[in-house]
Amino acid sequence: MKPFDIVIVGGGGAGLYAAMEAMKTNTALNIAVLSKVYPNRSHTSAAQGGANAALANKAKDDTVEMHIFDTIKGSDYLADQDAVEVLCSEAPKIIRELENIGTPWSRMEDNTIAQRPFGGAGRPRCCYCSDKTGHTILQTLYEQCLKKGVKFFNEYFALNLSVSGSRSNGLIAMNMKSGKVEAFPAKTVIFATGGYAKMYWNRSSNAAGNTGDGQAIAYRAGIPMKDMEFVQFHPTGLRKSGLLVTEGARGEGGYLLNKDGERFMARYAPEKMELGPRDLVSRSLETEILEGRGFDSPAGKYLHLDLTHLGADLIKSRLPQIREMSMNFEGVDPIEEPIPVRPTAHYSMGGIDTDNQTRTVMEGVYAAGECACVSVHGANRLGGNSLLDILVFGRIAGRTAAEEAGKFTPNTISEAELTEQLQDIRGGMHAAGHYERYGELREELGQTLALNVGIYRESSLLQKGIADIEELKERFKKVRIFDTSDVFNTNLMQVLELKNMLDLAETVAAGAYARQESRGSHTRTDFPVRDDANWHKHTLATLVKGKVTLGEKPVTMGRYELQERTY
Amino acid sequence: MTLPTDQHTEGKKDVTFRVFRFNPQVDSKPYFDDYTIPVEKGITVLRSLNYIKEHIDGSVSFRAFCQAGICGSCGMRVNGLSQLACTTQVWDVLAKSREPGVIKVEPLRNLPLIKDLIVDMDPLVDKMKHYSNWVASTMPEAEMGKKEFLISEEEFLRYDKATDCILCASCVSECSILRANKEYVSPAVLLKSFRMSVDSRDSLHEQRLAELVKDHGVWDCTHCYRCQESCVKSIPIMDAIHGIREDAIESRGMKDTSGSKHAEAFMMDIEKKGKLIEATLPIRTNGVVWTLQNLLPMAVKMIMKRRTPPPPPLVKSAKGIKIFRLMFREMTEHVKQDHKSHQ
Repeated sequence: MKPFDIVIVGGGGAGLYAAMEAMKTNTALNIAVLSKVYPNRSHTSAAQGGANAALANKAKDDTVEMHIFDTIKGSDYLADQDAVEVLCSEAPKIIRELENIGTPWSRMEDNTIAQRPFGGAGRPRCCYCSDKTGHTILQTLYEQCLKKGVKFFNEYFALNLSVSGSRSNGLIAMNMKSGKVEAFPAKTVIFATGGYAKMYWNRSSNAAGNTGDGQAIAYRAGIPMKDMEFVQFHPTGLRKSGLLVTEGARGEGGYLLNKDGERFMARYAPEKMELGPRDLVSRSLETEILEGRGFDSPAGKYLHLDLTHLGADLIKSRLPQIREMSMNFEGVDPIEEPIPVRPTAHYSMGGIDTDNQTRTVMEGVYAAGECACVSVHGANRLGGNSLLDILVFGRIAGRTAAEEAGKFTPNTISEAELTEQLQDIRGGMHAAGHYERYGELREELGQTLALNVGIYRESSLLQKGIADIEELKERFKKVRIFDTSDVFNTNLMQVLELKNMLDLAETVAAGAYARQESRGSHTRTDFPVRDDANWHKHTLATLVKGKVTLGEKPVTMGRYELQERTY
Repeated sequence: MTLPTDQHTEGKKDVTFRVFRFNPQVDSKPYFDDYTIPVEKGITVLRSLNYIKEHIDGSVSFRAFCQAGICGSCGMRVNGLSQLACTTQVWDVLAKSREPGVIKVEPLRNLPLIKDLIVDMDPLVDKMKHYSNWVASTMPEAEMGKKEFLISEEEFLRYDKATDCILCASCVSECSILRANKEYVSPAVLLKSFRMSVDSRDSLHEQRLAELVKDHGVWDCTHCYRCQESCVKSIPIMDAIHGIREDAIESRGMKDTSGSKHAEAFMMDIEKKGKLIEATLPIRTNGVVWTLQNLLPMAVKMIMKRRTPPPPPLVKSAKGIKIFRLMFREMTEHVKQDHKSHQ
């Protein structure tokens, strides 16, 4: 295949924005977008709430500066302040740009883009399209990419980077339809593959495919992962499935109640109540449950998210998806009765270490969106900042790669390397010596992570978690692939995804064990306070000789000094 | 929602999933495999398929991504009806099963089969491209990001529902026109076309419409409403299709297409006689030349078999035509009024 100027891995918001921007920057470039699903299926579509931007449509006194401060404070001062400045100052422009190309935003009475309050934000600055914001953004970007004639390779599963020395030669991927392993020689590669929170499986709100493929590929190629221990638990996952009830439900005025009917957030965040930042609200729910004030059920303990006082009209017009989901997956109509909820692993703050221009340490390799860690979210992401992140940094990645592609001479990927990859992935198809079941390993991984590397962490629990993951990796070597066909082998894909999750789980647990403090989403019961003297820094996890090796990186400070974080 | 287990307890039903199987590498034709598992209330078809894949047969192939009714990956036919497996409750389906205890699971129709329950979505994407299913903004690229278009809530509501579409292709699978003609634009693409065309930011209305009124376009729909009935997001797809047609006839002066002429001829006949004057319908729709060239051999055959419709003078008015005409006029006046107030 003719070498590409840019190969983009992932067709969600970040990947599609990158493609669009790269084509805008230089129309002569040969660009490919690879996605393991049709791009319009990507998990961006699940983002319900909205995207933050200080448009000041709703609160006339809102400013970019306030958005920056809220984000830094929300991050528990672990975000890099220069990166946050990029994120927030680009926000109004990019939301308007999306509007200009056809995104259907909900509107205010004066016909401008509507905004609503969101957790941890000092002003109502979350722009939305009812409760399908991510879906409509993704559709719009996909439509625009079709318009621009972006070359899509749909249902290609990325396997590995081909690396020579300090440079990548491009990507190796499997065509799901044929089962063939194909080479994508490329001057530059952008990873935009989304998050890794699905490793918590049933206790995760993520799509089944959010398995951190891009991060795992980069990690195996020697690129460091940053702040992997920071996994955000969303306060309101549905009890049975972990699926998400958007923060918008609380933004619209929903209450959180315990079994005594008490609005318990009064104890934890008296001022912001239900709209406190996510990490704090999640911990509050977990504490209520641990202290016996939750409801009991065969599917586990839970609390109530009560919308009944909002009325049928508002629920139907502003939160229709939430209503549909609680009816489909809990059998509960939120107009009639409260929704059963508990915290669910939702977002990975950590990811591929990049600079503000989305560059990684490997020449010609970039990363953007949830799979990257710039870092703009630090120890805790604010609601409405993740859609913003994928848009802003997706665009920067597209532009940077387009500008820098000319610097690199194209390399080739040898046939021998492809053959080796093919043999590697098909190993488990041979029955001899392979008996471990994929489903069991995956369940066990999710369980040990939720129990030992969950909301509340502690030294001995983390040691147990690390040992469990190590054992699971050992057992994975004997995993059996039951489908032996070449055509659309979803069984093989699941197994490869599990491999990626196992590789990354190790970095999450290692980071959590090393970080002896509590900050943002990372709460150590044995080190309950933030320790700025020793831990105001990023952790880096690098694969060295098959072992996770931890390093560190300073946090870029700016205008805002460290403060205690209270709400 | 606990997963079905091997222990058979009360509150569970044995359900046989009859799954469509086809692997092009080894099978010359499709067949069905039966998998019987105990399923409790509250379990979806997708969770059952996941269970079968993980515990009984790892080779059963289907797409599933978000598993929450948002991404549209798991469209398939459950007991003959196209829907999302992830939001379809097993017990609900069971209550209506023709064969007690059996649920038949098949791939979507009208798209090329790849393997088992997986069909090729590319033809749908190609059609989205062909009919420019995107907003081509009236704003020049260099100006973008500086200011918002001001859009009223009323305009937003015009396309709000249409933007719910997740391209699951249930409507494509149920469409009766597509079964006969794979080149037909398809309901999902008509819906998207409509959504773009009522957006004031878009500059492609005319071009898109010109494409939509051609062969295999908007006039091929026969109003069977199956797309709308099967829509997993309850989108009124037919409103969109009617919207495009009205647009073509009324506001954009595309009266010159066979589709619009066909519709007008229908209207005239119904107003006059209360029924169709079929003999001259082809001429009024497609002209004399076309009719002679295309329908003459069929007309001859029909005459031989004495199956010709009566000539126009012999078509009697329907019973109660006077009252009907009054109702008809009142109705059409109403529609005209609506249009005026819209504009």
